[in-house]
Amino acid sequence: MLSWSSNDTGTTTGTSVDLGAVAAGSGAVGIPLGDELLRFASAAADLRDVSAEMGDARDALAEVAGPEFMVDAAAVAANFHMMTRLADGTGARYPAPRLDDMASTISAMGATEMVSRR
Amino acid sequence: MDVRLDLVAAHRQAWDALGRPGTWFTGHQRVELAATAVRAMCDEHALAPWIAPSTVDGWLGDDLVTPSAAHDATYRIAAHAGTLSEPWYREMSGELGDLAYVEVVAIACTVAAVVAFRRAAGLEPWELPRPVDGEPSRLVPAGLVGATLNWVRVTSPADAVAAVVQAFTSVPDEHQRLWMLADAQYIPNLEMVDPRWTRGTLSRPQMELVAARVSKLRECFF
Repeated sequence: MLSWSSNDTGTTTGTSVDLGAVAAGSGAVGIPLGDELLRFASAAADLRDVSAEMGDARDALAEVAGPEFMVDAAAVAANFHMMTRLADGTGARYPAPRLDDMASTISAMGATEMVSRR
Repeated sequence: MDVRLDLVAAHRQAWDALGRPGTWFTGHQRVELAATAVRAMCDEHALAPWIAPSTVDGWLGDDLVTPSAAHDATYRIAAHAGTLSEPWYREMSGELGDLAYVEVVAIACTVAAVVAFRRAAGLEPWELPRPVDGEPSRLVPAGLVGATLNWVRVTSPADAVAAVVQAFTSVPDEHQRLWMLADAQYIPNLEMVDPRWTRGTLSRPQMELVAARVSKLRECFF
């Protein structure tokens, strides 16, 4: 999670993202289509959910951004189903100095007590 | 629904490889483990993290061609990756062999990528491939060493790159497949340094938003 939420994309592109909203799954993220993407990503994260939410979130995103955009968002979500299992399955961890640098991100993302913190 | 041809090709290549002999498992074994991964990810009534499928009557079939420990490891990685611990890894790698364990993780990763994509995009799930006969290669790369940034061994020099980048280097075929999938699903490796890179759809901040939210809900600290 921290690899993706703490890189320098935001500062380099002049974009500010509210990590608290990302962590909570609600609120103003601060980027275009943030609400729709947050809803879509939340639905895509739970493969066991058989409610209508995945379909509703998909339709909402495709309606405002187009089907190609939605497909690419699904591909990114799929990538992190893959990468999270890679990271946790192989015991991936950060060097200690990097963790120090990411302290504020760890706090903002509500990750201080995660079991997968190594 | 139109899907980019490079993405379809990457998924098809990785999915079909589940049915071919791997490095430590036969094609029949890989398909069997992939089926366990699919069930682990999608079953509404998941087992608790501390319950191994092999301890539940009837969960695994009676005619397995793969050791039950490999199914237990596949299940835990597929269903509850955020709960894994180093002692659990030591136990599993001791039973399976540490390089075979890496292949188990890779099978779960391939299944996760394709299953999650097709569900999110509203596409029909794919049937698992038919197994192809043949023996695993049992290829051991030269210069494997312990790592500080991973539990698993990696090719030397250890820890010269990020933990996720070196994680599968002990099983080169899986390493290649994983990064082929990442290139098509997320960002081509050569473009990673460009924070403004886009396929013309999501911007990098929008991609990072999806990545961070999925990873947060999957309770992955990394």
